[in-house]
Amino acid sequence: MVLQQRKLGIREYVSISILMAGAKATEDTPTMLYKGVQNAAWMIPILAAGIFFIPFLLLNKTLLLYQNKDLFSVIVKLLGKYIGTCVCLLIFLISSIGISFDTRTYTNIVRTFYFPTTPTFVIYAILMAVCAYGAKKGIHHIGSVSYLIIFYFVIFFCIALMLSAQSSSIRAMFPILGPGPFKIIKDSVRGLSLFADFFLLTMIIPFIRSRKEVRKGTWISYLFITFQLSVAVLVYICLFDTSLGTIGYPFHTLIRFISLGSYLPNVEIIFFVIWILSAFIRFTVFLYINGMMFGHIFKIKDIEYLIPALAMIYLLIGSMPESSIEIAQSKLVVIAAVGPVFTIISVILWLAAVLRGEFKHAKNRNSM
Amino acid sequence: MQKTGIVCKGLLFLVVVCLLTGCWDRKELEDRSYVIGLGIDKSEHKGEIKVTMLLANPEVGSMQGGGGSTEKPREVISFDVNDFIAAKGTANAIISRKISYEFLRIIIVSEAYAKEKRFVNTIMDTQMDKEIRQNTYLAVSKENASDYFLENKPKMETRPHKYFQYMVDHGIENGMIPDSTLFRYFKTLERGTDLYLAMYTTAKKDKNPKSRTEDEYMAGEVNASGELDDTQFIGSAVFKNGVMINKLSGRETRIVNILDDTTDIKDILVDFPNPFSNKERNFAARIMKRENNKVKMNLKRNKPQIIITIPLKVEIMTNPSMVVFASEKNRRIIKQRIISELKVLNEKFFRKSQQELKGVPYPLPLYARRYFLTIQEFEKFNWGKSFLKADIIVKPEVEIIDYGKQPTKPLKVGG
Amino acid sequence: MMKKTILNMLLKKFNTEPHFNEKSNQKEIDLKGQDISRNYEDNLEIFKSIFSVPKNTDVKVREFTIRSLDRRAFLIFISTMVDIENIQETIIEKLIKSEQPSGRIQDITSYSMEKTATNIGEITELITGGITALFIEGYQECYLFETTKTRGRGIEKSENEVIVKGAKEAFNEKVIDNIALLRKKIKNENLIVESQVVSKRSRNDVFLIYQKDLANDEILENIKDKLAALDTDKILDLSILEQYLEERPRSLFPTILYTERPDRAASFIEEGHIILLMSNSPSCLVLPSTFWAMLHSPEDHYLRTPYGNFIRILRFMAIFIAAFSTSFYIAITNYHVGMIPPDLLMAIAGTRERVPFPSVIEIFMMEIAFELIREAGLRVPSPIGPTIGIVGALILGQAAVQANVISPIVIIVIALSGLSSFIISDTSLNFAIRISRFLFIFAAGTMGIYGATSLFIFGLFYLVSLESFGTPYFAPMTPHFISSKDLIIRHLPFTERFRPGYLKPKDIARQRKG
Repeated sequence: MVLQQRKLGIREYVSISILMAGAKATEDTPTMLYKGVQNAAWMIPILAAGIFFIPFLLLNKTLLLYQNKDLFSVIVKLLGKYIGTCVCLLIFLISSIGISFDTRTYTNIVRTFYFPTTPTFVIYAILMAVCAYGAKKGIHHIGSVSYLIIFYFVIFFCIALMLSAQSSSIRAMFPILGPGPFKIIKDSVRGLSLFADFFLLTMIIPFIRSRKEVRKGTWISYLFITFQLSVAVLVYICLFDTSLGTIGYPFHTLIRFISLGSYLPNVEIIFFVIWILSAFIRFTVFLYINGMMFGHIFKIKDIEYLIPALAMIYLLIGSMPESSIEIAQSKLVVIAAVGPVFTIISVILWLAAVLRGEFKHAKNRNSM
Repeated sequence: MQKTGIVCKGLLFLVVVCLLTGCWDRKELEDRSYVIGLGIDKSEHKGEIKVTMLLANPEVGSMQGGGGSTEKPREVISFDVNDFIAAKGTANAIISRKISYEFLRIIIVSEAYAKEKRFVNTIMDTQMDKEIRQNTYLAVSKENASDYFLENKPKMETRPHKYFQYMVDHGIENGMIPDSTLFRYFKTLERGTDLYLAMYTTAKKDKNPKSRTEDEYMAGEVNASGELDDTQFIGSAVFKNGVMINKLSGRETRIVNILDDTTDIKDILVDFPNPFSNKERNFAARIMKRENNKVKMNLKRNKPQIIITIPLKVEIMTNPSMVVFASEKNRRIIKQRIISELKVLNEKFFRKSQQELKGVPYPLPLYARRYFLTIQEFEKFNWGKSFLKADIIVKPEVEIIDYGKQPTKPLKVGG
Repeated sequence: MMKKTILNMLLKKFNTEPHFNEKSNQKEIDLKGQDISRNYEDNLEIFKSIFSVPKNTDVKVREFTIRSLDRRAFLIFISTMVDIENIQETIIEKLIKSEQPSGRIQDITSYSMEKTATNIGEITELITGGITALFIEGYQECYLFETTKTRGRGIEKSENEVIVKGAKEAFNEKVIDNIALLRKKIKNENLIVESQVVSKRSRNDVFLIYQKDLANDEILENIKDKLAALDTDKILDLSILEQYLEERPRSLFPTILYTERPDRAASFIEEGHIILLMSNSPSCLVLPSTFWAMLHSPEDHYLRTPYGNFIRILRFMAIFIAAFSTSFYIAITNYHVGMIPPDLLMAIAGTRERVPFPSVIEIFMMEIAFELIREAGLRVPSPIGPTIGIVGALILGQAAVQANVISPIVIIVIALSGLSSFIISDTSLNFAIRISRFLFIFAAGTMGIYGATSLFIFGLFYLVSLESFGTPYFAPMTPHFISSKDLIIRHLPFTERFRPGYLKPKDIARQRKG
């Protein structure tokens, strides 16, 4: 009786989005940013956030017109059945490839740094099994668990970054403009993919309690993520200087390096634990959203049983590349495509809404 | 009821499987042998290196009163291999347990090998093995590393890692040796604009060491006698592009450590020539660096100018001339002397770095980057060449915070 | 849906219920459906046969003549359940000795609490409950007097939930005393004590206690429906009722709170929860309950705020240590050796050299030994209690270390985790943590910290989905509800303004802002 009425509150929504998008600072994304613009890489999240701000605002406005409809329903409604379904399918495919490669990347990280001789498949299977179980439980429970974890994640992340200040020098930030302003802007456009997660998060709007909470929550997490990504990349630059281009996973190298004095030389396990917790939540939400997308496209109501099947498929796709280098190359292609595609879709949606006069209809509805 | 049965049986099965198979990475604690120090030497065979491993014996000093074991605290083995990662496998032919680099503290390279170009390749291997951590110390030894480990027999520390831990920590605090970790080595290598300092050590004392002032020694020159272990850690080796080119004495290393803001230098004890009389002993002073240096650069002109201001706090520890410091004049004299002494030392050092070393052994170019807007401009400036003709002025800012106990003339006995 | 029926069909084929012959009880059931007759002899016969007098030695039938009405009458009661003196003074004496010519029975006897009944089944039930029945010749009805006096312990100190500062009374087996303990804490006319009979043979009654203007009606209805739907012969004890009522009886974690302290029960009533009491159970059930309710102890509130918070934080640390310390130890020493400071590593490795077993087996053995000692310590008779403690803990451990069967660090880790688990005062949660500790050991032994963390997240997802009568397990932290914010840190009493929102009480503010 209480379950059906219960919706996600703003706390759970913000925790989910922070854990989902914030994990980007802990994998190989900073290295890829650095390769493009060297030591101005910390500006890219801020600039990309600025560029993505307008399309995102438009997207939010369009979606908030329709209360309790998620992204896919809105796309189908605005663009018509056939074009809409094609667009939805495109989004689903991009997201599936994204999740397969991401899970494989994380598995590689765990295997490289902590379990060198364990077969990749075992680590991968455990990751997908736990995420599938979590996703089966439903978004409310995922939200609850993320709210439980979020504070510890943020606190320990900050502690890790602060401990690295012992050996870092803030002067590595200079020269400020890096390779030149034009290249920075060019790379910011490529960096739009950092915020692709927010695009996907709009799928869970119908589960949130009220429109006000959606709006407030989205902007809070948007700002926070921008800030977090920027600060994290800045800290990596200050610590690693020019070596950042060759270090594959800066967060893990960082936690292996910091120490709490000479009697407790290595404290990486604590940070590893919270990193793994955030990774689990991230893929659980991803799996759930993908399940929802799939269910929407093929009109399946009960997605609970879909999710383990989807998880299995992603596991198989992710096991296809043999080593991490192949993944990195494929990821470059995907990432270059994702950002602009999502931006364009947001703008198209807004244009379609304007052209069909939906805004005027909404005003009339509200004023009636 | 039936569902519980199935779940229970499944869980039991899983548990049994977990205990028997699985655990690919599981290795019992005592099943491993921990390498504390690694030595790298030139090998007579072409293309190979001679690797020396210092292994720790955990049993010694473990049981409180119940041990009394007669085993030695460490084991040293040397052999020729291709690289020290494959050496882990070869060593198992001699060592009974599985070799692990988890606790590697220090890598010692012989001077002869550090001067070769192949050294860079060899050291790059440390980035590939995940067990070796980036905060491992790198040191250069005058003789072969294999001999170094054999001769190094600390008399008071039972466990080898403790010895190295204490020696290195206190040496860095004192400023006599640089903070040379693998992390800094690779950072410097990839930055390419400055030089890297590694610790200099030896286990063989020089035959007839000259006697110098407190910190002008290099490793092996300190003439200490008694019942002690002969290993000395003082001075540094200079690396350019990853290969060793020169050596610095303890005093010069101290200067670098004071100039460098990222080292962990604590208080250092030095002495100054006595400004009040030439015949008496030097003053002893304690120098404390509590703030960062201020560097101002003027790089637009043809001859770049670098002005470094070093804030120091000084405590006068001894008073061999029995000078009364209550008088303003005396205070001024000693302050001026300290400032001029430091200025001379620093500028002499910079001249050496411009002419002999052809580079600066600490990350000074980081300060220069502030003055440029883009990386291209900085590269056009070409720090490497510009530094050689730069005009470097050092201004020590000294605050004498304590003069010590004021002397009183002793009364003569018997009138 | 379909999947479940196929599975059930398959399983039914393999597990068939055993055949048994049953004797029909129809005659007795019919008899109980009738009313009593006016005939004196008939009634006597019927009731003597129902109660198997004189075989049943403590069922007493007292025949006499009522002087004022000049009729024969008999009293039937179970002597071990009634207050015999009271009956003798107020009923029998008055009836035999009264000289007023007429009058109703109610005026002759001076016993309080009296009612009438006609149905044989109903009267039988009431007699077994300790009520005295009076049958008068020629009267259609029978008079019933509530003379129940159960025997049991007095009100004693709480043994399982010990606190230093605060009331020390505990519930006992007499439900009258328990209700009295609650009434004297909440002197409010809205405190309702409802009773319901739940089993068929033993006819145990369950008392629901709640505040009419605070508790939520839906939850109340839910509980009453559940109680009414119970279809069993006996429910002897409240703990068994707990298992009948739980939604997920096989889960590792409890969803109903079981406490033996009346002050805890009173504070829960005051928040809007519902309490269940049963006779012969020195405890009560609190529904609905959350994870936090089981962790908190009343002492947190009785002590001053800084001390209470200190104890609370200590308890949270204790839960983590109890659940994770052994698995952390295994994960670190087997998989992530680099984490240990080098001196500690040398110490551990040095002492482990001569030990024959791998770490996981060692830990496992010592955990089982510790649990054995713990259970033995609970049940040992008190004269030799302390001796066993010394023998078990010290000598066994010391001897094992000296014989090089186990290493000393394992003893430290096990002792630490065992002692921390004692800080959790709720019995069910205690067991839950202890059992999950074993699961964590297996997970950590298999995949190190990765395995332990995966199991942790798995467990978190499972816990979050547990519900106790519609209330999520971790409310009010996640699904956020208005509450007094008394979860991890306890605030000053005058800042705890709201009742828990997940109970949807009718009056949510405890105190007005003033």
